[in-house]
Amino acid sequence: MKERNKIGVYVCHCGGNISDYVDVKKVVEAVKDLPNVAVARDFVFMCSEAGQNLIKEDIKNLGLDGVVVASCSPHLHEKTFRNAAKEAGLNPYLVEHVCIREHSSWVHSDNPEAATQKAIWIVKAAIAKVSLARDLESIRLDMKPEAIVVGGGVAGMRCAIDLGRAGITVHLIEKSPFLGGRAAQIGKMYPSGISGIELVKKLVEEVKNNPNIKVYTNAEIVSAEGALGEFKVKVKINPRYVKGNVSDDTISQCPVEVPDEFNYGLTKRKAIYKRDFTYPDTPVIDMNACTKCGKCNPDFNQKPKTVEVTGSIVILATGFKPYEPKEGEFGYKVYDNVITLPVFDRLISISNGKLEYNGKEIRDIAFIYCVGSRNEEHEYCSRYCCVATINAALQALEKFGDLRVYHVYRDIRTYGKYELYYEQAGRDGMLFFKYDPENPPVVERSGNKLIVKVKDLLTYGEEIEIPVDMVVLSVGMEPEMSDVFTMLRVPFSRDGFLQEVHPKLRPVETAIGGVLVAGTCQGPKDTVEATASASAAAAKADTYLVKGYAELEPFIAEINPEKCDGCGECVEECPAGAISIENGKAVLKEALCKGCGACGAVCPTEAINLRGYYYDQLRKSIEAAGGD
Amino acid sequence: MKYDVLVIGGGIAGIEASLTLGDAGFEVLLVEKDPSIGGHMIQLSKVFPTTDCAGCITTPKMAAAASHPKVHLMTYSEVKEVQKTGKEFRVKVLKKPRYVEEDLCIGCGRCEEVCPVLVPREFDYGIVGRKAVYIPFEMAVPKKAVLDLEHCMMCGRCERACPKDAINFLQEPEEVEITVKAIIVATGYNLFPPERKKEYSYTGNLTLIHTNLNPNIIHAMQMERLLAPSRPYHALLRPGDGKVPERVAWVLCTGSRDKSLGNPLCSRVCCMYSVKQALLYTSAIPFGEAAIYYMDIRAFGKGFEEFYTMVRDLGVYFIRGKVARIESRNGNPVVIVEDTETGEIREDEYDMVVLSVGLLSNPELSEILGIDTNSYGFYVPPDENANPVATKVDGIFVAGTATCPKDIPDTVAEAAAAAAQCIAYLKEVGT
Repeated sequence: MKERNKIGVYVCHCGGNISDYVDVKKVVEAVKDLPNVAVARDFVFMCSEAGQNLIKEDIKNLGLDGVVVASCSPHLHEKTFRNAAKEAGLNPYLVEHVCIREHSSWVHSDNPEAATQKAIWIVKAAIAKVSLARDLESIRLDMKPEAIVVGGGVAGMRCAIDLGRAGITVHLIEKSPFLGGRAAQIGKMYPSGISGIELVKKLVEEVKNNPNIKVYTNAEIVSAEGALGEFKVKVKINPRYVKGNVSDDTISQCPVEVPDEFNYGLTKRKAIYKRDFTYPDTPVIDMNACTKCGKCNPDFNQKPKTVEVTGSIVILATGFKPYEPKEGEFGYKVYDNVITLPVFDRLISISNGKLEYNGKEIRDIAFIYCVGSRNEEHEYCSRYCCVATINAALQALEKFGDLRVYHVYRDIRTYGKYELYYEQAGRDGMLFFKYDPENPPVVERSGNKLIVKVKDLLTYGEEIEIPVDMVVLSVGMEPEMSDVFTMLRVPFSRDGFLQEVHPKLRPVETAIGGVLVAGTCQGPKDTVEATASASAAAAKADTYLVKGYAELEPFIAEINPEKCDGCGECVEECPAGAISIENGKAVLKEALCKGCGACGAVCPTEAINLRGYYYDQLRKSIEAAGGD
Repeated sequence: MKYDVLVIGGGIAGIEASLTLGDAGFEVLLVEKDPSIGGHMIQLSKVFPTTDCAGCITTPKMAAAASHPKVHLMTYSEVKEVQKTGKEFRVKVLKKPRYVEEDLCIGCGRCEEVCPVLVPREFDYGIVGRKAVYIPFEMAVPKKAVLDLEHCMMCGRCERACPKDAINFLQEPEEVEITVKAIIVATGYNLFPPERKKEYSYTGNLTLIHTNLNPNIIHAMQMERLLAPSRPYHALLRPGDGKVPERVAWVLCTGSRDKSLGNPLCSRVCCMYSVKQALLYTSAIPFGEAAIYYMDIRAFGKGFEEFYTMVRDLGVYFIRGKVARIESRNGNPVVIVEDTETGEIREDEYDMVVLSVGLLSNPELSEILGIDTNSYGFYVPPDENANPVATKVDGIFVAGTATCPKDIPDTVAEAAAAAAQCIAYLKEVGT
């Protein structure tokens, strides 16, 4: 094939990120007279409007037939430069973006000369590759306006509502028998002051009234597969075992009482139960507790139903779980009156008149912060707990009066306007003690009191003993694991939560195309932040679903039937099932191909190329890179 | 002119919201009061916790906004009137005169070269100067000159130097009327003016040496500029005398968590940007000593605590105490503080002190828009837990630091959230 010989080469300084170590002028010098190169330039920020304009002007004025940009990682700006070329009338796939920042200046900052030499090799290889580049066309993928949202907590509901209102069909899948998630368990919430139950009610109303949202509760995900535009999720809907309308009276006749998980066992519920504030109204029978006495007129013959739902996008809103302290951690499970913050939150909500626990009136409480956060096991800060703890303490004080409250903390992180809660706590006479993680507080029992021993940094290391009736552990958040993560192969961050592509550029997208994240499955958040991120995920979905199509890269396999001998090794290797043998030749189903290149690697006759990475291109670039 | 959505504010929130709406197929008008979009973010050095350079993230978004077929820019323009009639908003936008014809100017900078007037450059917070006719900064979008008539002495040199005859002293303010179906308010924040904290002896005038007001006491945005790839001196030098600062301190909560200044709120970003600046400073000046004076280190976001721990382990000093005052000794700032973990009263001398200033509200459009603010001037979403970007007016949404100080990841998420709410609303009212 005829080589391209009007290639423009653009070397970026990245404002010093590259040019402090790589001699960019030398890179330009080294390539500007190569036979395929028409022009080579350097610029302080190629990605800026001015930098992009340089390229566009050259394409128009010099009639470039290929472009090489040497700058940051293609992950950041390959699209930027492809779009610029497209706007100037050049096929965007004739742009090769190579990385001389992460791959050269940053890793070889100790040796500028070698960094420069490596940058030159990288750029030469790219020029060689572009010289043999073909005109490719992006693949247009039509998008059915349909999405799958996994998780029916506040984030999942917020996201479903936003999509439903925009006219998109939403399948909202919740594993527990009722919508609402963990937010409903929170008492009075900051900053708006409504209760968790009110918040859930409000969102449930909107979900119920939106004809575009289909809700599946008591629903387990059995399998999830597919890609952007064509996800398929099999959902097993477990039976509720109830028939017709079940009155509250009928429910009260159930003879079985078990600890109610909603109140962390502080209260009991029947084996048949429902939650008034949420959806659906239909009760459910807990078969682990039911004695099959038949008083509630049940239908034990109901079988699980499996349904398959489809969606162009999957949004994960699977939430978090509170950290469960280890036995003995600050006296947890050793002393009766050491409880966690979520339990304390429920205790305030269900107590009236006075605050009692285990039959004992609580007059003084110590809160210990950062339990299960900011330590070796969980390096991260759980973000919500400082404000949530102070908020819970303020509520307890408001509701029960006459409490002595002690906060044993590391840093109080009442960020933004939440600082006002911290201030209020001080005004209300709550006391604060700061501990050093090297010397954490110790909880002991003395008579009928618990003693919190703390070396308080605010009094310059004085050993202080605080006698209290109750110790509340301010526990952090952990990700709630779900099988769907592995089914869709979504990557995790170092902290165990789901990993977004980039916290600022693409905050709700995962590395798996079409799989988005919302709420606390991505990292600790309060409800304000969780609903904001849920709407943000809806916005990203809107850009595909409201518009109705996506444009995908053309980098898929290309089979040359003349070279193919029909051995079938590629069929074996293809993870997407995209290749079959017809009439003794391999045939590709383009819609299924993910462009992984596995087929090409095993083909003994080199009949399969990956578009954009043709054999001749790769060979020539390897030669060019090692050429001197 | 008719658009689907008006986005007010061309910072990262406004840009993100505009791009999302544009990508979903809606016509957007993005109005920015400054001559370029980019907001505060384009002025930053690198951003926590990933230490990506801010320019690497912001410039492509700015360029994308400028070239997006659905996003229309109106810079150096202010929203003056908003009236809701039925399902539409009628909006009057004032286009301020640049005294440079925007469609003629090619951003070559020749006018700047010949202009004899030098005034402090806003983009660098006065660390260096600019001319009376100037391009706001290298990466400006649009990259067009603007003439500052207040400082111009009408010598006419720029007019003669311009190869495109773009200078026009006779330009008048122009009122443009537009109609939109929804509005996103992304008007951002105002930086706390550090001179208001008298005890910290900050001077806006960087030429005053050997007075009480010490030019080696700078504020954090000035430090951002000194650390940025496009930094003013192409080196990290202290402004007072150009010396390499070998010992630098950060004073957190300047203008935040401080009732004496009327701002009890925490500004949410200062802890982390100071930790980040300390890291960048110790990378720039390898034997430099960095100390951070703090009350609580609020490293609460994803990856923040890990970042803070790393910087702490690298040897940056953290001293717990609210700085009482800053004095001067031989041109060096001296920090006077009680270390609240030891009770010791310290007097620590540094080459340079950075005041980690907070974020104040920017409520200037609240009356025009008819949406509520709290007593600190931040917009209050009435139903914040369920929908943090909605306002009491149907069809008006807020995003970013207009509602409360926040970092870039939270701002970007909120901007997209506002776009989602906007799309849902537009679909319901019919487009």
